[in-house]
Amino acid sequence: MADQEKLVIMVTHGPEDPELATIPFVMAGAAVASDVDVVMGFQGEGCRLVQRGVAETVSAPEFAPLAGLLDSVRDLGGKLLVCSPCVKSRGIEDELVDGAEVCAAARFVAEITSATNSLVY
Amino acid sequence: MSATMNETDLAGVTPDKVVDARGAACPGPLLEAKKAMGSVPVGSVLELWSSDPQTKVDIAAWCGKVGHELLGTLSADGYERVLVRRMK
Repeated sequence: MADQEKLVIMVTHGPEDPELATIPFVMAGAAVASDVDVVMGFQGEGCRLVQRGVAETVSAPEFAPLAGLLDSVRDLGGKLLVCSPCVKSRGIEDELVDGAEVCAAARFVAEITSATNSLVY
Repeated sequence: MSATMNETDLAGVTPDKVVDARGAACPGPLLEAKKAMGSVPVGSVLELWSSDPQTKVDIAAWCGKVGHELLGTLSADGYERVLVRRMK
């Protein structure tokens, strides 16, 4: 049996760009549905997407609403990692959605270098 | 993965579960199929309703990836019925 596949998806766009905020979740959803381990990494304005109450405000035309995608990705085992200085600079470290884990650069590097592939949005 | 049944045989299949994902945008129907597949035993047939014409292509790719059997797709009024057998 082949090793378990893992996809890392880095998210750097937030609510200011609903389409580029949503597409990573679309890819993550398709991946978890396909039994691929998924790690989503949120940096920069991407962090806003895992701030409580924000996902519910993001919806891009012709895409599924972001909040439902986030729930599906999380329910199907996707991990949500959030950049530590990014959340501190925004003062949102205590406002993250359930399941979001604050981490630093080395953790992202470890996840990416051990993944089958990675995507950056 | 290509379909394993022709339309005539497909029309005679009774699904074990029907999932109505009409109106859902990509990857909504796929996610609904994934969740539903976990609720039926191996060997069961899932029928997925979708109004997104790309769903049958997406589900075919998914079946090829994860190992389920794509039985085929039937057209209905404004949507498609994609039938998949759980294989694992």
